[in-house]
Amino acid sequence: MKFIIDRFDGKKNYQQTYTLEKKDIEALTLLGTLLLIKQKQDITLNFTASCRMAICGACGVRVNGHAYLGCDTKMTELFEEYKDADTFRISPLANYTVLSDLVVDWEPAIENLRKIKPGLVAKDSFSEKEGCVQNQKEYDRIVKQWDCILCGVCASECNKLTADRSDYAEPFVFTQAWRLANDSRTKDPMINTKAAVKNGLWNCVHCHECTNRCPKHISAANDIAGLTVLALKKGLNSGLGPAHAKAFHTDLVEGSGRLNEIYLALRTEGVSTVARTGMAITLMRAGKMNPLEIFGGHTIEGHKDLVKMIEAAKAATKE
Amino acid sequence: MQKEFAFFPGCVLTQAAIESKMSIEAIAPILGIKLREITGWSCCGASQAQGVDPIATLVANARNLALAEKLNLPVLTTCSTCLLMLRRAKAELDGGEKERINTFLAKGDMNYKGTSEVTSLLWVLAQNIEEIKAKVKKPLSNLKVAVFYGCHSVRPEKDLGFESSVNPTSFETVVKALGAHVVPFEKRLNCCGFHAVYPAEKSAMKMTSGIVNSAAESKADCVVTPCPLCQMQLDIYQDDAQDTTKSKARVPVLHLSQLVGLALGIPAKKLGLDYNVIDASKLG
Repeated sequence: MKFIIDRFDGKKNYQQTYTLEKKDIEALTLLGTLLLIKQKQDITLNFTASCRMAICGACGVRVNGHAYLGCDTKMTELFEEYKDADTFRISPLANYTVLSDLVVDWEPAIENLRKIKPGLVAKDSFSEKEGCVQNQKEYDRIVKQWDCILCGVCASECNKLTADRSDYAEPFVFTQAWRLANDSRTKDPMINTKAAVKNGLWNCVHCHECTNRCPKHISAANDIAGLTVLALKKGLNSGLGPAHAKAFHTDLVEGSGRLNEIYLALRTEGVSTVARTGMAITLMRAGKMNPLEIFGGHTIEGHKDLVKMIEAAKAATKE
Repeated sequence: MQKEFAFFPGCVLTQAAIESKMSIEAIAPILGIKLREITGWSCCGASQAQGVDPIATLVANARNLALAEKLNLPVLTTCSTCLLMLRRAKAELDGGEKERINTFLAKGDMNYKGTSEVTSLLWVLAQNIEEIKAKVKKPLSNLKVAVFYGCHSVRPEKDLGFESSVNPTSFETVVKALGAHVVPFEKRLNCCGFHAVYPAEKSAMKMTSGIVNSAAESKADCVVTPCPLCQMQLDIYQDDAQDTTKSKARVPVLHLSQLVGLALGIPAKKLGLDYNVIDASKLG
């Protein structure tokens, strides 16, 4: 089998091909295979790894353009996933700056993590003597997110980061913010929620690559949605992101029960802005949207009952 | 082949993607599929309302599924975001929320049982390849197609569960069955940016442009997608996106159902090809 590995020596990028017998690697992990190449074929190949048990998060790499945690990925899983493949392309994590071969620069991501204030600010009621006690239910609420090992696999595949890293943070940063905001011991969930909003929370493109690739089965996208719910509850509702999301909810509950795309443009950007309101007019001209929908469209059959159901759910949730 | 489905069009098929609805309704009878539109279906939340009021969207989707159950049929949708939202709601309900949510549905004399599965047009076609091949009247042998899955057709894999999310094959299998040539297309699994086109417009346009340029570099005659939201983003916003990146490439973007319709010999007009914003008339 051939392994084409992306290399970088500090000045130039190139690919190097290594050949291995399938029988020699089928009992190994992806990290084991990289170690075998380094030990038997090329001592100069650089990558990071430490614990070999999916705890340290150091050995994330890409295979055929998708990120994996090396020590947590069996070669047999890759054979199954990429059926008939006799060649694998190994690359460094995407959306990071490459330092050497498969080694990437973590500093900017750690800087982003600092921005959401990752240290827990405990409630004043806690004391050094009594500690910060949490009951089982409170702990269980955040235990999944505690599993995050900062391996960067989610960030590597994030489509928003690939498009523009300047107005968004790595998905795991939002997972950490969610965990802190939902920790029963926190003095104020808004410490982290506000910081998450400030660092691009609403710019998530909902591609779910983070959910899909996380070796710990954490969904950063769900944590992002959890933070938007929290932000809106606390009145952090300025900007196009909140207006856009709320337009769907408004149409569902207060409108016809279905999305009104003309209202969507107006509700998101307001009547004074033209960009996508103009798009709605283009669609109407193309005959794709009914201008009568501007008066609210047809209310769905059973909408009154739907509203009653939602109101009952909301009342029960408040109790 | 399951012949009858409770059809969940999703909001976009009633307005900005009416050609998707037209073409699905045109191909279904030829393929022997009976679609019964769910009366009174509501918006699925579109992955947006879920970030405002998750309990409201779970209730709305429990109601949508309960309406389909009344028809005693599995649910079929072509919108990948509707597919994901409905399947996630079903998983949540079947995973322990059913009883609680049913107390709310009772306010409208409804009850969710969990008897209707949720599937997509792409999956149903992929499961019935031989029958499709037999119905092809005009093989698309001169057409080079860039297949674009769209995020929610494949991700998250645990919620969709139909095929590998990093190496899916269903779409290629269907397009090849129509006689078309599938071109290598680097960005077939990328995100089109649709869900953030308002808050992160610059990024969304860059993503859209990258996909169109990738298809053009592959010498594709068209991009095809099963998801009407991806189609809308790649088609309606294509001029804007290409202006943003100063690219001259333009590629028509078809719905999966439109491509199937062409192979079945259905006239372009009936498939709504004239509604596509980037000129697709020469494909018909």
